[in-house]
Amino acid sequence: MTTTASRRHTETEEPHWVEWATGLISALLVIAMIAWVGWEAVTEENTPPEFSTAVTGRGPVEGGYRVEFEIANKATKTAAAVVVRGEILDGGNAIEDADVTFDYVPAQSKSSGAILFSQDPGSREVRIRAVGYTDP
Amino acid sequence: MSGVTAAQRGGDMGETRRFLIGIGRGAAGAMLFGMPMLMTMELWQLGFYIERYRLFLLLVANIPLLVVLADRIGFERTSTWREAFRDAMIAYGLGIVMSAAVLVLLGDIKPDMPLSEMLGKIAIQSVPASIGALLGRSQLGGQAGDDRGGEQEDKGGDGDAVPNEISTSYSRELFLMGVGALFLNLNVAPTEEIILISYKMTPWHAIAAVIVSIAIMHGFVYAVAFKGTHEMPEETPWWHAFFRFTLPGYMVAMLISLYVLWIFGRLDDTAVTQMLMPVIVLSVPGAVGAAAARLIL
Repeated sequence: MTTTASRRHTETEEPHWVEWATGLISALLVIAMIAWVGWEAVTEENTPPEFSTAVTGRGPVEGGYRVEFEIANKATKTAAAVVVRGEILDGGNAIEDADVTFDYVPAQSKSSGAILFSQDPGSREVRIRAVGYTDP
Repeated sequence: MSGVTAAQRGGDMGETRRFLIGIGRGAAGAMLFGMPMLMTMELWQLGFYIERYRLFLLLVANIPLLVVLADRIGFERTSTWREAFRDAMIAYGLGIVMSAAVLVLLGDIKPDMPLSEMLGKIAIQSVPASIGALLGRSQLGGQAGDDRGGEQEDKGGDGDAVPNEISTSYSRELFLMGVGALFLNLNVAPTEEIILISYKMTPWHAIAAVIVSIAIMHGFVYAVAFKGTHEMPEETPWWHAFFRFTLPGYMVAMLISLYVLWIFGRLDDTAVTQMLMPVIVLSVPGAVGAAAARLIL
């Protein structure tokens, strides 16, 4: 293994200015990133997940009816295994419900999905809400 | 190993023969480096649900990467870009063939599947496998492997004894760090764990992860003296290398992490602060890969 001895790299003594410029920019970026995360660490309040849902689209599919929706988590904590239930309400009574589970709804982010009903809700109200989650 | 002994026996073995051995090593490299990913469930799934424009971008971006990498460590000692391009294409082709073969062997590709699913699965695996094919050529080569080419090649890989001085130039160094980071990132980025870890970590953990990554990168290359360790001239203070190589290297690792996470659709609809966390998490293996690449390649 004599080759290993010859495979040593020696950095040049007088580096090009570009190397220093890149180093400086990188250093600034790293410091900025650490400062940002650090600032967040200090100021962030740990609010439990808080969901809001909005229907984004609907339409018939084969053998049923699809209601697409978005679920947003405004809080600073991520929720895992979020179960979302969609219900078709007729005069306050749920005549059909269907569940969907999201692996994650990250903090301050949105996830989207769809619920498939067996019937067209028509003019009846569709209620979509999160019914539970676990901490990741 | 039979290939190696055969190579030694045939004193003046023809170009074709040497080339075929190179192909064999490339195939072995594709298997060796690609196997962890070929057996990762998330990558099979990504193969059919990844948005096609992202897959396209990943596949296209792989070409210049392989060409530059081949210029460093090709199947033959390359001197022209044309040869490097040829080697890159061979590696890519090997990556595709080996990925397809292993996926068929594992029963992950079956004849009744839709064509686009098969193609997607093979395509996404071919990227790490093709890098593996090129690395296999250089790393499995061994010291006794190429009788005549060997010595010449080792010097060439090093760059200081050979006319192409540019090979260890600054940009090349950063590029190699990028390849190392990309390789390790492709291994771990598709898994669910990266996302889960980033959710489990507090900002304090993230800061520690950044500092540890940078320390690992610097330590790997300059302090613990693995083979191929870079040396600084005696009188240069340690922080010169730290600013010129380690910090830019870490930035490269972060950029690659961001790119890989985006390709795999892990950052969609996510707040900027939430994007940063998985990038920091993924940069930990990225930093190790980047540092290792500087030593190995």
